[in-house]
Amino acid sequence: MVVSALFLLGTILLILQTTVLHALPEWFGRPNLLFLLVVFIATNLDVYKGAMLALLFGLLMDIFSGIFLGLHPIVYLLLFFVLQGVSRTLAINEAVHQMPLVALSYLATASSIYLFATILAPESTFYWAWGNEILQVLILAIICIPFFSFCKWIIALLNDTGKRNPFRRQKSGNRYLS
Amino acid sequence: MRKRSKRTKQIKGFLLFGLLLTLILILIVSVVGRQEFNAPHKFALEVLGSAQQGISRVSASLSEVWQKYSELLRVREENLRLREELQKYKAINNEYREAVATNVRLAKLLAMKETLPAPTLTAEIIGMDPSQWFKTVIIDRGSSDGVQAGMPATTVDGVVGQVVNASPHFAKILLANDPNSAIDALIQRTRVQGIVKGNGAAYYMDYVLKNSDVQKGDTIVTSGIGGVFPKGIPLGTVSHVEKTRRGMFQKIEIEPSTDFSELEYIIIVMKKDPLAK
Repeated sequence: MVVSALFLLGTILLILQTTVLHALPEWFGRPNLLFLLVVFIATNLDVYKGAMLALLFGLLMDIFSGIFLGLHPIVYLLLFFVLQGVSRTLAINEAVHQMPLVALSYLATASSIYLFATILAPESTFYWAWGNEILQVLILAIICIPFFSFCKWIIALLNDTGKRNPFRRQKSGNRYLS
Repeated sequence: MRKRSKRTKQIKGFLLFGLLLTLILILIVSVVGRQEFNAPHKFALEVLGSAQQGISRVSASLSEVWQKYSELLRVREENLRLREELQKYKAINNEYREAVATNVRLAKLLAMKETLPAPTLTAEIIGMDPSQWFKTVIIDRGSSDGVQAGMPATTVDGVVGQVVNASPHFAKILLANDPNSAIDALIQRTRVQGIVKGNGAAYYMDYVLKNSDVQKGDTIVTSGIGGVFPKGIPLGTVSHVEKTRRGMFQKIEIEPSTDFSELEYIIIVMKKDPLAK
């Protein structure tokens, strides 16, 4: 249920990014909301569900962005596993740590895309636009806390709905009984 | 004794009443007879007149306030109505303007289509690239409309890019300003050839020898070599030329003729074998 809901949320965010956010003026910034969702998944979901979602979002990004198929799934999975590792050893779920976490993750992701794209197309010259990148980092760092709160609220809502579901199968106390 | 005193009081009362009645009658008779507005009248008038004046003023003030309030309400309602009408007419005006703009744009596209080798297909852009690294757009035409990878996309102003992926109803266009885009081009004035590449925002022209004649303001068009783009479609104008000491080639920056931030409709040049070189 949670995986389906987060996948739906990611799809909606991607559609918003490709349509509505592009209608905004460029100086306003166009936050990469799907990236924020991947960071949230990496720090809040378990490995299997999270990795599956990161892979799916990477595949979706490939459809709408760039020409290298497979680039985004690799970058998103790398990001996911790095953040999973970090979240197991450090207390990064507190709000005060989330802003630098998101900023550094974004810079690492952008660097990875830059690096992979340069390797995949050596004849092309990719340009690192510091202005755009810094603006993106700032926007993501600012909106990450309300965004993560919103995602947590959705998960809590889904969990509550699941518990209240009268058709939900109740497990017996004895685990050897089916 | 008691009866006598009571009778005396009654007689005094009657006498007093009679006296007052007589005086009033005399006053009435004298007033009616002489038609004189005397002091008591004047006094009464002064008192009542003052009261009247006060009440009239208060009444008039209240009436005025009420009238102003009701007028204000009417004005407010009228204001709201006029605002609504203004909004409505503004919306109609905008629709007319948009229709005229669309008409002009489509007329230009039609004129452009007539100059391109047939057949062509007009498509609307429905999505932009969500990342900052690549420049692609999604259009509302796909393989069911005959769109295939490799087909060139243009507008009235010039080259837009080429189709890289297509699904039955949608396709992805790689814009000419994407770093992965490379188009065979030539300088219109001198016919010098080179490769126009994207740098994310504009273009630059590569592989133009230092001894070639290139000047700022020169128009760059597609060369038709490679068979992807038809020959002679505008790409842009030279904005900067630099001959570095090292290397064989000039550094040429190009200002695109197409404004990629305002793309709405594009023309797909349909080809039987779009990827044929």
